[in-house]
Amino acid sequence: MKGTFSPKKRLAETHEKETQGVRNPFEEFQAFTFQETTLPLDQIIESTELVMDQIRRGYEKLLEEEAKELVWMVQYNTIIKAYEVAEKHVREIDYSAEDIEDFCFALENTQKIPYFIPGPAGLYISALCNYAKEQEILLKLSELKTEINLIGFRLPKGKRLVIEGDAGDFTGIGLEGGELVVEGNTKNWTGAGMRGGKILVKKNIGLHTGEWMMGGEIYVGGRIRGLGNIVEGKVFERDKLVYPGKARHPNLYY
Amino acid sequence: MEIYQFINDHLYYNRPDLEINGERFNSTILFSLITGLKKGKELIIGEPGLGKTTSAEFVCSLVYQFPLGIIWGSEVSGHPEQTEEKIVGRPDLGKLNRGEEDVVWTNFSQIPAKIVDEINRLPETKQSMILDGVDRGNWEYLNEMIINEEYCLFATANYQDGGTNTIIAPLVDRFDVMVESRYPGANLSFLIGKSNRKDHILRHPKYERELHRILNSKAPYEKKIPLVEEVCNAFGAYVHETVGVRPLQGRDRQQIRQEMDDIDLEQDASAFTRMLLAELSFCDRYGQKRSLETCEEGCHYTGYLCHEIKNCASNRLPISIKEYAQALCWLLEDSEVGMEHMKSALPYTLAHRIQWKDEILSQKERSKRDDPYPIFLAKEAVKTVSQRYREQSEHLKDALAVGSKIFQGESLEPLDGDHPLYTEIKKDVETKRPKFLKR
Repeated sequence: MKGTFSPKKRLAETHEKETQGVRNPFEEFQAFTFQETTLPLDQIIESTELVMDQIRRGYEKLLEEEAKELVWMVQYNTIIKAYEVAEKHVREIDYSAEDIEDFCFALENTQKIPYFIPGPAGLYISALCNYAKEQEILLKLSELKTEINLIGFRLPKGKRLVIEGDAGDFTGIGLEGGELVVEGNTKNWTGAGMRGGKILVKKNIGLHTGEWMMGGEIYVGGRIRGLGNIVEGKVFERDKLVYPGKARHPNLYY
Repeated sequence: MEIYQFINDHLYYNRPDLEINGERFNSTILFSLITGLKKGKELIIGEPGLGKTTSAEFVCSLVYQFPLGIIWGSEVSGHPEQTEEKIVGRPDLGKLNRGEEDVVWTNFSQIPAKIVDEINRLPETKQSMILDGVDRGNWEYLNEMIINEEYCLFATANYQDGGTNTIIAPLVDRFDVMVESRYPGANLSFLIGKSNRKDHILRHPKYERELHRILNSKAPYEKKIPLVEEVCNAFGAYVHETVGVRPLQGRDRQQIRQEMDDIDLEQDASAFTRMLLAELSFCDRYGQKRSLETCEEGCHYTGYLCHEIKNCASNRLPISIKEYAQALCWLLEDSEVGMEHMKSALPYTLAHRIQWKDEILSQKERSKRDDPYPIFLAKEAVKTVSQRYREQSEHLKDALAVGSKIFQGESLEPLDGDHPLYTEIKKDVETKRPKFLKR
């Protein structure tokens, strides 16, 4: 008899005998033709991952072109040039405001993005915001460990960018008529070179605020550490107009 | 539906509070009618004087063709001094003096429509005695026993006050549904006060005397039943003649029950109920819900109902759900029990059975609502689960279909998903799969 039946076959037969007469609790679904379907959540995750890959690749290309040696100096020309490169990559991606927020958090994850260089990263995020489909963008960044520099660069008219949390240096520089709201603190050179629009900072702001600003308004809910050389525009501190007025520049501590 | 309409229009004035497939109903009358038809057990709660007992009396009278006088005479009223002799039966004292042992059965134990007024004023032992009798249909006293072939139970309960006992959980579980007889609103209430009492419509002194005579006679119970039925039919014909509504005869009730039982469940209704039952009984940590075990901190299934409740669903729950959903489907003249029937019946079958955790009770206590708190919570729970079902119905049905195929011996892997039911399917399938296929 040995060799006539394989042990697996014998086990299967035994099982068949065992289950005979056992009621199938899923009997009603016997005729249901099931298809390999993916859960809606899986599809959402998949498409989000796809978009995130594209955004990540755009950022890596920007770094390849602008920060070859992983060093990046904040200078007028480098900012303009890096922003142009960022614009070029961003235009090719179909993304939403939520993807921008995800990207901000992905920057802190070294497994996803190996190099986080604050300057180009900020410009890239600014380009993402400026070319987003949504008119109003909310970025919940209060859980972020590092502040992003250069956020809100050249925010165009009609756009509103709200940041929950703190922002870094050069926030809202070169603003072009948009409205930038920071529900936290910002660092130095906020609103430098802005041409129009509004920056609202709920808490405190650093040095050189509004340096060479050509128009627009900056509202600060807390304290201004120091004003820059302002050409034109208005700066308010706790609803009080501080420029034009009793000028305290450059970097007068008070 | 003729009986429902008659009670709603002439006997029990109240607002509709339940919508099924676009039709509006009053839940108290609707579920009482189903209880009468399906031989169920219903708990009617509410403030004193809002028609809890009255609604049950009208339904019993029209479904079982008993004049109101007989129904009143067979009611058990709940009070702490209530005895088995007044509820079930007593020794025949005349015979006892002669040294013989015989039992005089109460009307309550003999007639099929049983009403217990203010059940929570009865001590727990007496509550248990009634529910045991109603559970099996057997009434025992001394060495004798009668068996009710057909019976239903309506028990009313006031909200907790100084004079009430609690109805303990195992007893509560025996009720199929719980409804509230609510205030009809100032205008209808005024109308009730203004109009004459409508009791006389369902009264008939001659038939009441006749029925009393038969029920109190010394004839064996089995011989009394056809005689009772005969008088009931005569009373039914009288009601039909005088008010135009035809009460149900014994064979009508039997046929209706048969028709209800023959109604099938749609796959969605079945899958949805399984999903709900899984949430009401599942515990990842301890294998199943148990009242004495508490949930683990940070459990993966925190978002599901199992995390909000203390106890486990009983096996009586799916029976009640199916019976009442089938009955609703029959009343609405639909061909199959669908999601709507399930969603309508579920809150009333769940409300009294779920023991919510204290934090859940305190969280939602002040929510704006029209229903009593337990029914409101049950409705919210059903809404939440039905939302979850909408999101993953196809995948869930796939998982059940795969389960069926594995059960039939196909070599497939059970589907994964984020719901306790997927785990339950796996458990069922694992026990039926040959050991060599188990991972």
